[in-house]
Amino acid sequence: MVTLLQTIDTGHEDMIHDAEVDYYGLRLATCSSDNSVKVYDIKNGNTLLDDLKGHFGPVWQIAWSHPKFGNLLASCSYDKKVIIWKESNGKWGKYYEYANHDSSVNSVQFAPDEFGLILSCGSSDGSISILTYIRENNSWDAKKIQNAHAIGCNAVCWAPAIYPEPAFDNNSEPNLKKMLVSGGCDNLVKIWKEEQDRWIEVCKLEVHSDWVRDVAWAPSAGLHRHIIASCSQDRRVIIWTSDDAITWNSTVLHTFDDVIWNVSWSLNGNILAVSGGDNKISLWKQSLEGNWQCISDVAKGQGQINNQ
Amino acid sequence: MAINWNSEYYVALEGKDLQANAMAVDITGTYVMLAGRRYIAIRNLDEECEIVQKFPRQSKYDVGAAEWNPTMHHRELCVISSNQRLEVLTWRMEELTQTHSLKAHTRVITDLNWHQMDPNLLASCSVDTFIYIWDLRDSRRPSLSLSAIAEASQVRWNRISSNLLATAHDGDIKIWDQRKGTAPVQYVAAHLAKIHGLDWSRTSETQFATCSQDNTVKFFDTTNPRKAEYILTTNAPVWRARYTPFGNGLITVVVPQLRRGENSLLLWNTANRATPMHTFTGHKDVVLEFEWRHKRPGDSCFQLITWSKDQTLLVWKIEPFLQKLCGYEPEDPQEVTSYHNPKETVEKVMKKAVPKVEPLQQEFSLLNVHIPNLEVKSMNLPDRLCSVQATVNKFIVNLQINFPATYPHGVPPDFVVQEDSKVDEHIANQLLQTLNHLAQQRVSKNRTCLESCLRQMVTTLEQLITDSETDRMFENTLVNPSNSFGGYNDAYIPFPRTSGAKFCSVDTLVCYGRMGHSHRLSAKLDIGTPRALSALENLLAKRSSHKLSISTYYYQKPRRTKASKSSKALVHIYDSSGLFLVHKQLAEEYILDGDVGTVCKHNAGAAALVGRWDLVQAWALAELVGSPQQVNEGDIWSQHPFNARLMESLISHYAKLNDLQMAAMLCCVFGKEQKYLMGIQQKNAKLSKSQPHFRLVPSTFTSSKITKHMLHKSCASPYHTIPPADIIAEGWVFPYLESMKTSSSLDCLWSDDPTRTVKSTTSTIYEYYKLAYAETLYRWGLLYNRAEVLKYLSTSQETHKGVEFLSECKHCMKSTRASNCSSCRRLTLNCTICHISVRGSANCCIVCGHGGHTTHLLQWFKDNEVCPSGCGCKCLIETANMFSS
Repeated sequence: MVTLLQTIDTGHEDMIHDAEVDYYGLRLATCSSDNSVKVYDIKNGNTLLDDLKGHFGPVWQIAWSHPKFGNLLASCSYDKKVIIWKESNGKWGKYYEYANHDSSVNSVQFAPDEFGLILSCGSSDGSISILTYIRENNSWDAKKIQNAHAIGCNAVCWAPAIYPEPAFDNNSEPNLKKMLVSGGCDNLVKIWKEEQDRWIEVCKLEVHSDWVRDVAWAPSAGLHRHIIASCSQDRRVIIWTSDDAITWNSTVLHTFDDVIWNVSWSLNGNILAVSGGDNKISLWKQSLEGNWQCISDVAKGQGQINNQ
Repeated sequence: MAINWNSEYYVALEGKDLQANAMAVDITGTYVMLAGRRYIAIRNLDEECEIVQKFPRQSKYDVGAAEWNPTMHHRELCVISSNQRLEVLTWRMEELTQTHSLKAHTRVITDLNWHQMDPNLLASCSVDTFIYIWDLRDSRRPSLSLSAIAEASQVRWNRISSNLLATAHDGDIKIWDQRKGTAPVQYVAAHLAKIHGLDWSRTSETQFATCSQDNTVKFFDTTNPRKAEYILTTNAPVWRARYTPFGNGLITVVVPQLRRGENSLLLWNTANRATPMHTFTGHKDVVLEFEWRHKRPGDSCFQLITWSKDQTLLVWKIEPFLQKLCGYEPEDPQEVTSYHNPKETVEKVMKKAVPKVEPLQQEFSLLNVHIPNLEVKSMNLPDRLCSVQATVNKFIVNLQINFPATYPHGVPPDFVVQEDSKVDEHIANQLLQTLNHLAQQRVSKNRTCLESCLRQMVTTLEQLITDSETDRMFENTLVNPSNSFGGYNDAYIPFPRTSGAKFCSVDTLVCYGRMGHSHRLSAKLDIGTPRALSALENLLAKRSSHKLSISTYYYQKPRRTKASKSSKALVHIYDSSGLFLVHKQLAEEYILDGDVGTVCKHNAGAAALVGRWDLVQAWALAELVGSPQQVNEGDIWSQHPFNARLMESLISHYAKLNDLQMAAMLCCVFGKEQKYLMGIQQKNAKLSKSQPHFRLVPSTFTSSKITKHMLHKSCASPYHTIPPADIIAEGWVFPYLESMKTSSSLDCLWSDDPTRTVKSTTSTIYEYYKLAYAETLYRWGLLYNRAEVLKYLSTSQETHKGVEFLSECKHCMKSTRASNCSSCRRLTLNCTICHISVRGSANCCIVCGHGGHTTHLLQWFKDNEVCPSGCGCKCLIETANMFSS
C-alpha cells in the first residue's frame, strides 16, 4: 500500500531532526544537528538546491508556507532563533529572522493560507509566538503568548480554517477563527483562540502523564468535527475529538514501547503516522466503527527500509 | 593543589578495609583505582582531602590485575581481571560502570596490559597458556589469540613499536608480533628461576628488563637475545622491576610473600648497578604495586604512587636530585640551585661588573637561540619585545613576548599568540597558561625566564599537539565541533527527535530515521529514551569533554570509515496514495461538464478502469437519480424526496470512508441536478410570477444544458477582472461566482424548502467536500479539474480584493460586470481595434479605459506602445506604473 519512491542522501553531517515536502510535493527540506537546512528537488533527480546556513545550533523543525506567499521556509533552532527563508530566482536567502525567544525554539508551523502569512513558534521558554506578515509595510508583527506552558512548549499546530456556522451568508466576510493547539512540558495540551487581537486559552486537556512532544490537528477533511492527535514521553498517543472545539473527548490510540515524538495526519482522510524513540513508524486508521487500527505494513515491512 | 608533603611522601589513602591487591593510576594522574575482592575504590589525587569512592563488587574472586587505559582518548576506561574474566569499567561522572566483560580464558588470568597507543586494544595472558588480544569494538571474542604452550605470568606491549609484545613463561620470554600471530618472533631464555616481572624500555624498542626469583634483574636487547646486556643483582627475589620515566633509572620491589620486614622499594641507576641509588622507606609492609603519576606541566618532580600490603597509598616525590642520580638532567633547572646553570652564573657576574646594563639586554644577548623547532624572529630591545616562531608538525605558533619595564623583578612578561598562528585555540590557551605559570614562578624569584619559557614552549607544544592529534584520530569525524550543548536550561528542552514521519502534500510520506546499526549509549544501562536534552550532557560529559552531539548518543563507537559518512542522513520518500481512496487517475479522468447522465456514465467508466467497482455502482445510482432522460419534464419523480435522500446518503457514506473525491464529485453532480430542477421551478415560477425572490435569475433557464452554457460563457470571459500582479501565484479568482450566486442551486432550492435549517448544515459540509477536493486537485496540478469543481461552490471561496473593471452600457448608462447590459441586454464593450462588440476574452487599459478583444490588443501591442484609440496613453507603461506604485 505504501511504496518507496526514493531515498535521498541528504549529506547532513549529523542527525536529521525534521523533513518536509512542500505543498506540491516537488521539494524536500531537511534540517539537522549540523546547524543547516537543506532543500532538495525531488522531482528532477534529487538535486541539492541549496544548503541554508544561518543557525548556530541544531535545527529542530522546518515548515513550508503555502505557495501563494512565494517559496518560504521557516526553521527553528536550539540557538533560540526562527529564520524564514525565501527563494527568489532559484537562490535562497534569509527573509526574516526572529530572535525574541529566551530558549530553544522547538516548533514552527505556518497557519492555513486563508488567514494570510502567519507563523507560530513554540519555545522552551514556555511561550508561543505568532508572527504575522503585514503586506502594507512589508513587516512582521509578533504577538506572544507568554507562559503558554509552564516549563516549555514543545509543539504547536494550527487548526484548519473552518467557516463557522451558518456559513454562507453572502454579504458578510466569512468570519474565520484562528485556533492553535500546543503541547508542552507541563503534560498539557492546550487549545488557543484569537479573539480581538488577543490569544486566549480555550481549554487545557489533561490526560498525558509526561511531556507532550507533538500535537497535530487533523485537516478538517469535510467532517464537521475537530480531531487532534497528541503524543508524549509517556509513550501514548491520544486522539481528542470535539464538535465545538470546547469540550473534548479523549481516546488512547495506543501505548507504544518507546516514547513518541511525532504524529502527522494525512491531508486526505484519517490516517495518522506515528513515530518515536524506537526508530519505528506506524500508520493508524480509523475504521467505520470508529476504532483505530494499525495499518502495520509500514511499521513492519517497508518502514524498516527507513532504518537501514 | 596544596598538598602537604611530609618529607618525601604523603599518605594519600589509608584504607584498612579495602583489602585491595591491585592498583592502577589513570593517564591524567588524577585517579587511583584500588581493586580487591569486595570493593573497588577510587581516590581522586587532585582532591586534597582523603575522599574515596567505594563500589562494592559481587564476586568470589580476587582481582588479579588492574590497569587504566594509557591513552587520553579512552582515559575513562580501566580493566580488571577476575579469575577467568576481564572486566572493562568506565569511570564517568563519578560513576563506575562495567561496559565490557571479556571472557575467553579458561583458567585464571595472570596479567593484562593495554596497548600503549591504540585505545581499543588490550592483551591478557593466563595459566591456560593462551595470550589473547582484545579489541573493545568487538568484545565477544579476542581479536587475536596467541598460543604459547606454557602458562604465561606477564604480558607487556612494547612502548614504542605498536606490534610487539612480550610474555613471560616461567624463566623464558617470548616476543610476539601481532601481525604474525602463529608463533613468537623471538624466544629468550632469560632466567633459570621464575620471572615475576617484565618491562619494556621507554626509550628503545628493542630493550626490556626482566626480574626473577633468582634475585636478579636482567636487561636484554632483542637484537642480541642470547645474552643479557647486563645483570643487576639484589639480595632478594625481585617482584617487579620497572624503568623510570626519567633517565636510566629503575625501581624494584621484593616479592610480597617473602621476607617480612624486608619491604624495600629501591631506585637504581642502571648504569651503576652496584648499589641502589635510593631506598624509599615509609611502608610498613611490602609494596604490592607501584605506578608513575603523569607529570604535570610546570612541576619539576615526578611522583611515584605505591600501594602496600599495609593498606596505605603513598605518593612519593622524586626530587630533582634523585632524578639527577639516575642520569637525568631536568630540562628546566628552575628548582636546581644556580650553580648548575652557567648562564646565570655569567649573568650574575656581569651584573656585578656592569651594573648599568639592563637585565633584558643581558638576557637577549645571552639567549641561546639554538632551540630545536624554534626560531627567534626578532628581539627588539627599545620596545622590549621579542617574537618567536615555533613549528611542530604542521602547526606554527607565532608568539610575541612583551617585557614590562620592571621585568624580571616580580613582573612576568606578556605572552601573546599572534593571529597568523596555525594552531587551534584550545592548544594556544593551554600553552599560554603553562608559559604564564612558569614565568610567574621564575620572576617571583627575580629571575629571568625567557630561555626557559621558550624551551618549555616547544616541549609543551609537542606534547599538546600529540595529545590532540591522537584525540582527533579517534574523534568521530561526523561530530560537528560547533555544536555546543550545555545551556543552563537544557533540562527543559525536549530530547531531539531522530526519527519521524510526516504526511506531506497529498500522498507523500516523508520518513527519516537513524541507521540500522545505531545503538543507544544508554541501551546497556537500560534507560529509556530520555525526555530532555540535558540527558545527553549527563551521559556524555565525562566521555568527551566539550563535544556533545546527538549522534554521539547513538553512535557510541568512533567509526573511522569515512565511507559511511554520507549514508547517515537519509530521507525516504514514500508514495502512500495506496492508503487513500482519493485517486489521481480518477481525478484526471472524471468530468463534470455535460448533462448528468453523460457525466455519470463517463465517470462510471473511469471508475471501472481503475477497478473501483463500488464507484461504478454509485455512479450508476447517481445517473438513475439525476439523469434528465429518466424524467419527463414536470414529472414529480425528479422532485421525489427519495432522490435527494439517496444522494445525501451516498455522499455521507463516501465522506465517512474519507473518499472525499467521490463525495465531492457527487456533491457537484447533485448540485447539477438540483440546478436543473430549479430551472424547472424557475420556469414555473416565471409563469406564475409569484416568486419575486428569484427575479434576478435570467428567465432563459430552460434546461441544465443551457444553464451550463450560460455559466460557461460567463466563466470564460474574465475581461472584467484584472488580477493584480501579486496574486498571480494564487491565480484563482472567480469573478463569476457572484453571478452564479444568484442562480445557484442549493441555497435557492432550499430557500423554498421548509426544512431549510436542517439542510443548510449538510450544504455547508458539501461545500467543505468540494473545497477539500479542490485543494487536492490544486496540489496535484490539475488546475482545470479544480476549476470545474469550484464552479459548483455556492459561495465565493475567496473574496476578490483586486481591481475590478466594470463596463458601462452606453445605451442605458448602467454599469455591469457581465458582457452584456443587464437592462438592455446589449453587449457593452466595443473593441477599439475592430469596433465590434466584445463577447469573449477582453483586455482594457486601466488608465484610459480603452480596450477590446485580447487577441487584437496582443497583436497591437507587439509593435506599438500607445493606445490604439489614439488617445495618446501609453497603456502598457501606465498600467505597469499604476500597480508598481
